[in-house]
Parts: sequence; C-alpha cells; structure tokens
Amino acid sequence: MSKKLSALTMMLIVLFSSVFFLTSCKGKEEKPAEPIKFGGIWPLGDITGDQAAKAAQLVVDELNANGGLMGRPVELIVIDSELNPEKGAAAVERLATVEKVDFFVGGMSSGVHLGQIPALKKYKKVTMWTGAASSTAETAVGEGQDWYFHLHPWDYNQGNSYVEGWDDIAAKFSNISIDRWFLAYEEGPFGSASFAATQTLFSDMEIDGEAFQSAALGGGDYTAVLQRAKDYNPDVFIWAGYAADALPIMEQAKAVNFTPPLFIGAPPGWPSDFGDSALAENVTLYGMWAPSISKVSAVSKKFQDAYEAKYGETPATYFAPLGYTSIEIIAKAVEAAGSVETEAVIKALKAIQYESPLGETISFSPSNVISNQGFRNQKILQWQNGNQEVIWPFEFATAEPAYPFTR
Amino acid sequence: MNKKKIYTIAGISAALILSVILLIIRPTILVYGIQRAGIYAAIALPMALVLGIVHIVNLAHGEMMMVAAYLSYFICTTFGIDPLVAAIPTGIIMFFLGLIIFKTSIAHTLEAPELNQLILTFGVAMVLSQSVNLIATSQPRKISLDYVSASATIGDVSFGIYDFIFPVLAALFLAVLIYFLKKTRLGKAASAVGQNPRGARIVGINVDLTYTIIFSLASMIIGVFGSFFITKFSIFPAVGGTFTMKSFALVAMAGIGNLPMVIGASLVLGLAESLVMSVPHGAGWSPMIFFGLIIIVILSRSFRSKQ
Repeated sequence: MSKKLSALTMMLIVLFSSVFFLTSCKGKEEKPAEPIKFGGIWPLGDITGDQAAKAAQLVVDELNANGGLMGRPVELIVIDSELNPEKGAAAVERLATVEKVDFFVGGMSSGVHLGQIPALKKYKKVTMWTGAASSTAETAVGEGQDWYFHLHPWDYNQGNSYVEGWDDIAAKFSNISIDRWFLAYEEGPFGSASFAATQTLFSDMEIDGEAFQSAALGGGDYTAVLQRAKDYNPDVFIWAGYAADALPIMEQAKAVNFTPPLFIGAPPGWPSDFGDSALAENVTLYGMWAPSISKVSAVSKKFQDAYEAKYGETPATYFAPLGYTSIEIIAKAVEAAGSVETEAVIKALKAIQYESPLGETISFSPSNVISNQGFRNQKILQWQNGNQEVIWPFEFATAEPAYPFTR
Repeated sequence: MNKKKIYTIAGISAALILSVILLIIRPTILVYGIQRAGIYAAIALPMALVLGIVHIVNLAHGEMMMVAAYLSYFICTTFGIDPLVAAIPTGIIMFFLGLIIFKTSIAHTLEAPELNQLILTFGVAMVLSQSVNLIATSQPRKISLDYVSASATIGDVSFGIYDFIFPVLAALFLAVLIYFLKKTRLGKAASAVGQNPRGARIVGINVDLTYTIIFSLASMIIGVFGSFFITKFSIFPAVGGTFTMKSFALVAMAGIGNLPMVIGASLVLGLAESLVMSVPHGAGWSPMIFFGLIIIVILSRSFRSKQ
C-alpha cells in the first residue's frame, strides 16, 4: 500500500512539475499583440460594395506586410448590408458588440445609411463613410458628431460640381451648347429628387423632364419617354435611373433614332460590362474616379496596379478607391496620433492632408451640417473607345469631350 | 344573335376604331402598344395554362422566368450563341426544372387549401430568387445585341421594329397551345382534367401525370420566353416579381382557362398603357391604368353574372 502511495505521490509530483514548467515557459513567450480592428459594411452582392471591400482588404494586407500599425496586426471584418437598412443597422451592432472593432468603415446607399445612423451614434467610434449622398442622411447625423467622417460628396456638392463642370466645358468648347435640357428620370425618390435638383441647379436653362418606370422596379420600356425627349429636341439629354436601365435605354434610343448632342447617364452604378457595348461610345457620365485617372495621378496608378495584381480585375467603380481611402486615411491618422484612442485619432484626422487614389488631395472640413466632410466634387467622364475618360475637371482630364454624340 | 356575340362584335369594332384613330393621331402609340401587349401575352399564357388546367396560382411564375433568363444568359456567354438559339436548350432545361419543382413541392399540395398552395409557391419564388442572388449576385446583366435596335422610319416617325417579335412569339405560343389542347390526346385529356378532375380520373385519365406534363410544358414555355426576355431587358434576381403580378392580373381579366382572351386582354392593357404614356407626364399613371382596367373588367363581369 505504502509502495503504491509513494508511486502515486511521485507521479503527481512529476505531473504537477511538468504542468508548472510548461506554464512558466509559456508565460515567458511574448503575448501576440491585439489586432487593430476595422469593421466594414458594404452590399457585397453589388459591384460597388464588392470592390470597395476588396480594396479595403488590399490596404489591410499592405499594412500587415509592412509590420502592421504601431506594431499591431490589422484586421478587417466585413459584413454584407445586402442593401437592406435593417441588416445594415444590425451589422453595426454586431461589429461593435461581438467583434469589438475600433473603427467603422463602409457604406453605399443613403437608405441603408439612414437605418444605420442611430446605431453609429450609440457607439461613437471613429467612422469613415464611403457612401450616402443624400443630405437627408447628413441631417440625420446632425451637428457636433466629431467622430463621423464622410468621404462621399453630398447631393448638393454633386449638383454644384455639375453646374461648375458644364459651365467650364461650355466656356472652353464654344461648339458645345447646353441651353436646353431634358431629364428622363425613374419615377421613384431617386429619380424625382434628381429632376427637382436639376431644375433648381440649372434654373437659367430650359428644362423639361419625364418619368419612366425603371427596369429595377418592374419597368424597362423607355420608348415613350425617349419619344418625348426626341420631340423636345434637347441639347443635353440625361437619364437618371439604375444600372439595369443602362444598356436597354441605349438600345431603345437607337431604335427610335434619338441622338441628342450630349447623352448623359446618371445611375449610381454602371453594369461592369457596359463599356464593352458599342452603344456606350460617347455616352457621358458622372463619377468620382475612372481607371483612366491613373494616366494623370501616380497615387491612383499605384492603387490600380496593386488592385489588379491582387484580384486580377480592373476596379470598375469609384467605390473601390473610396474603400481603399477609408482604411488608409484612418491608418495614417493612427500612425500620426500614435494611438487608437478616439479623441487622438479624431484630432489627427482633422489635421490630415491625404493624397487619395481618386486624384485629389483631401482634408476634412465642415459641410452644411456635419463637421468632417472629405470629397466635394464629382467628375464628368465620357465613354471613349470602351474606357471612361475624364473630361472635367480639366486638371484631371484624360481626353477632350467627343461632341456631338453620334452612333 | 345572342348577347355574347353582340358584345364580342362591339368590342372588336371599338378596338378597331380606336386603333385607326391612334394610327392617324400618333402611330407610335399603336406600335408600342402592340409590342407591349406581345410581351404581356407571351409571359401570361403559360400561367393561364397552369391556372386553367392545374388550378394553381403559381407565385413563382416570374421567378421561373428569371431563372430561365439567367440560364439563357449563361448558355449564351459560355457557348457564344445567340439568345434566340439558346431558347431551345433553355426551354428543355426548364421543362425538367418545372417537372422537379412540381413533383417535389406543388404535387403535394393539390388537395390542400388554396392558401397553402399560394404560400408554397411564394416560398419557391423566394428560394429561386435568393439562390440566383447568391450565385450570380444582384449585379444587372444584359447581352448587347445589334439587332434589337433595328428601326423603321415611316414619314418622319422612327420606331423600333425588333419588339414585334414578342407579339409573334405570343401568337406562336397560343397556336401551339391550342393545337396541343384541341388536337392531341394528351391535350384533350388535359382539357378534361381542367374541367373536372374527378370525372377525368373516373374515366381513366391519369390526372397526376397530366398535371405534371402541363406544369412542365408551361415551364418550358417560360424558358423559351426567358431567352427572348434577355434580348430586351436587363436581368437581375428580382426582375421576375412584377411579371408574376401582371400575368396573374391578365389571366384574371381574360377569364381562367380562356387562352385566346389572354391575347385580347394584353392588347387592351398594352394599348391603354401606351396611350397614357404618350401624354406628357403620364408615365406614372400607367401602372394605375393597368390594374384599374383589370378591376373594372372583373367587377363588370361580376355584375353581369349576378344579372
């Protein structure tokens, strides 16, 4: 019995000694640094969200390849908003409470953002928003929210840049006439707001318009509105609908033999293969970026090359460089502040001069309501030989406007 | 001459007079109205067949068309063929997809209350649209085709002529279906099942097989239409929903099981919509005209039957 007891005692001693030894050895190892976490929310089923999320991951990979931020690894957790306000708001809650992220990034669609704003206000983490142009969202954010940074221009910023752009173009190219406008707009809130804004912004011009039912909402037949536009004989024809309308409207315009001198499309996003169609040639569009900007901006080229090398596709939407910007600008502020504390990062962001892959160098300043607005201008682009070329602002111009629009 | 004939002649005369007036005032109203009617009729006919024979309101009708359109799109982009050619393989695939959907789900609810059938087919619709959303994303897709922009000019009026393919397609569907129902043994059996399933079973008709064939045949027609659909429209996972509603409304307006009247109802609605849309700022009224006319027709039919 005593022999057995001694053996058992010895075994226990050996066992406890081993556990103690192993534990003490582990204790001497360096504890891995906690990652700095970015929580991203984009609609991943849409090309805008898909490419924004990919571009954001690209920055994270670049940061980690260079030793992370302040010696800590960087992590991006992306949740799909599915273009649904409820899901978008739930994503904010999850990122804040379960994933415990340090920063919020993301955004596409004002409707989704309106659903997310109450949750964002609850956590007051530094937020760098890539989408939402509606000034209704700006009002919902309200004044004095220093943690909120908005990259995308608001609707009134966009409107002002269109007026400025067309005035500049008409002044520089005397053959281009912009006196008579016709706006074909989808009958929902987006199209109606576009028509109202155009009437206000271009109040010194002759303007008429007609609603149509977008293919995205069960329509897709534009012949009546095109016929009306043709009868009106405008200098500038704009359609404000969705990506699903883009190619059918061009096909039907050709079928009714409608060729206005300027044919502008103003959907929030274009089908990725629109440029492959011959009907895209000389169609004018609005946007913040196009791959052609890489010809005049080294930062843009660096971004585009890295994106193409990683994903084997061209970033087709301006949400890609916006997604990249959203992470990189915070990373630069964190480096400058030497901290991830909210107050320190906000202070660094307010002082930043950031050379963006969209071409412009931006800093944050107050807009109509919020304290920290980034980009304020849209660009006027035109499809030429399958590429989106910048025709305004002239400092980023990659081509002269092709005029008049012909087939 | 009975009242029905008088009503028919009066209706046809009114339609002819209206057409002549439109042709004189604004010919494009007539052109676009007929083209629009062709689209409505072509998509509503397979629903009329299913509703008339199997007595199922298939709420997945538009989503099946959407699936067919995606199938056709991928066949076209993979094999480099034209959508009008892809209509054949798409139709065949949709025949079997319809068969699977029917045998695995709808067949089990034929005896159940109508609400159960509605909820079931609504569920099928959700599964189809969400599956496509996951596989193909919500990004709209469209095949660019030169011939869809073909136009004709008469005097100083230019209009697209490709869309006349839809009325032709609808007429072809109707002809094939009428031939099938009137001239073939299976079609006659289907008509009998549509009128009185219990009686048909007693006289030895395989009712279950008839239902299966009819649903699969309707799915095949939807498949063929899906291929034509992508020539004109962009496709995305939610594109089918509206066509379910419009098809159901047209079938209700035409009268359950009355296939030729689906064409008539489509013409009335297509022309009415085209007329309203030709008026400045009238586009917003077109959905109201569509459903308003349907309410009027159904109510007047109801009053007539009461009398």
